[in-house]
Amino acid sequence: MLKVTGLDKTYGHHKHSLKDVNFTAQPGEVTAIIGPSGAGKTTILRSVNQLIRDDGGQILLDDVDIRQANKKQLRQIRHHIGMIFQNYNLISPLTAIENVLHGRLGAKSTLAGMLGLYSTDEKSEALTLLQEVGLQDYAYQRCDQLSGGQQQRVGIARALMQHPKMILCDEPIASLDPKSTRIVMDILRRLAKEKQLIILINLHQIDVAREYADHIVGINSGAIVFEGPNQDIDAATLQNIYRQPETAVTDNAN
Amino acid sequence: MIENSSTTPKTLPQPNPKTKRISMMTRPRLILRTVLGGLTLVTLYSLLTLNTANLKLSEAFKSLGTNLHSMFLQPSVGQDSWNLLLTALTRSVSLAMLTTLLGALFAFFIAVGAARNLSPTWLANTIKAVMAFIRSIPTILWVLIYSVTMGLGANAAVVGLTFHSIAYLVKAYSESIEETSSDTIEALKASGVGFWPIVFQAILPSIIPALLSWTFIRFEINFANAVAVGAAAGADDIGYYLFMSGSFYSNFHEVGLIVYLLLGVAVILELVSMRLRGHYLQKN
Repeated sequence: MLKVTGLDKTYGHHKHSLKDVNFTAQPGEVTAIIGPSGAGKTTILRSVNQLIRDDGGQILLDDVDIRQANKKQLRQIRHHIGMIFQNYNLISPLTAIENVLHGRLGAKSTLAGMLGLYSTDEKSEALTLLQEVGLQDYAYQRCDQLSGGQQQRVGIARALMQHPKMILCDEPIASLDPKSTRIVMDILRRLAKEKQLIILINLHQIDVAREYADHIVGINSGAIVFEGPNQDIDAATLQNIYRQPETAVTDNAN
Repeated sequence: MIENSSTTPKTLPQPNPKTKRISMMTRPRLILRTVLGGLTLVTLYSLLTLNTANLKLSEAFKSLGTNLHSMFLQPSVGQDSWNLLLTALTRSVSLAMLTTLLGALFAFFIAVGAARNLSPTWLANTIKAVMAFIRSIPTILWVLIYSVTMGLGANAAVVGLTFHSIAYLVKAYSESIEETSSDTIEALKASGVGFWPIVFQAILPSIIPALLSWTFIRFEINFANAVAVGAAAGADDIGYYLFMSGSFYSNFHEVGLIVYLLLGVAVILELVSMRLRGHYLQKN
């Protein structure tokens, strides 16, 4: 279980980006963070694996506080947190299977990692994972020859290769067409159920969040304005989440 | 992310009622034309007042023609043998190859330290400044500087050429590294991958075409330098024989042959580099 409490982040001197953010995300569930642009969705997601250093709070993944980890521990924790991105962030001149194998690099010694030495088991696992996301025929294609939806599925396979407890998804469908969106979201939902993963996902599209998420965190101007099961959301809550940030700054200053 | 602060749309400036004449003569253009015009005037002036002394232009050109004729239409081995010249040529190529390979190896690791997206700014800037200093002194001078400590000969040539190659390639490599997208690096960092595996598994595959082409350009430069160094540092390569046949024996037939040999090597290098690049780029 992921439990975030009292997360704070300030950019510069006066801009509060996150104010006392609290939420939980359960294994087996898709948890969506929704809110207007600039509300702090990306900051939250990147604080969870400490790509962004926050200023205060607690981030407990299975009762281990990620914020207290030293450099080496942080790398070990990160190895069990997969991440997929809006722009896929694959190494594009490499083949799909090579990119999937990169998911194992975090578990290797520096030398083995530098040389890219993978065992036969790891290679066949990579192939199985590509099959799981429906890309078995594209394993040896260069990633820059794949479509956006296919690249995102390679990204998911790379995250699965890490044997993750949790997958963070930063606007995973923002660059995809509706059909690819459906494929990618279906895969994410299936993975949450089958592998009991925590799926934490930043979403711009409310309708996609309403359709796929089990649990929803609504955020406005860096503060949580809603947290609860998907079915608890009504029109008024949505309006509250998406109201204009200008007014929200004063409303939310607790 | 930072919230969007409320910004009131600025009122557009009102168009000036008086229409203004648009001049094509901007300030940079004016400066450029003044400089070019000034240079043209200086050139014309110096040509008109050139002191030809007793030189007769027609005879000078005739003599140039004879020399070119004996160089390029009647090349021969002169007082040396084919065997000797080819050995010397091989020595030049080997000198260029060795110094490029050594330079590339050292330069890659130094370039990682000099790339702003991988290293702390102070380190990157320091390395770049030192490399810029080394580059600003010509290769031949470095060879001569090293020959003071190591004595004239092949050793000084290898060290001097390698030294300058490193400085040159560090600049090229580090700039290629800086062009790799920080997003892909972040993706591997997010999965707990350490620094050197990221360098070798993410950055290196992305920049191999750029590295290859820079290394090959440096190989060509090193070949030209190796020829020049041969004469200067006495490394006993093809440059030495070029110098001897031209300045010492005045055997233009042999000069011509050596020039053809150098040209042949340059063409072969170009072909190999095209094929290598083609191999790595064809899949794009």
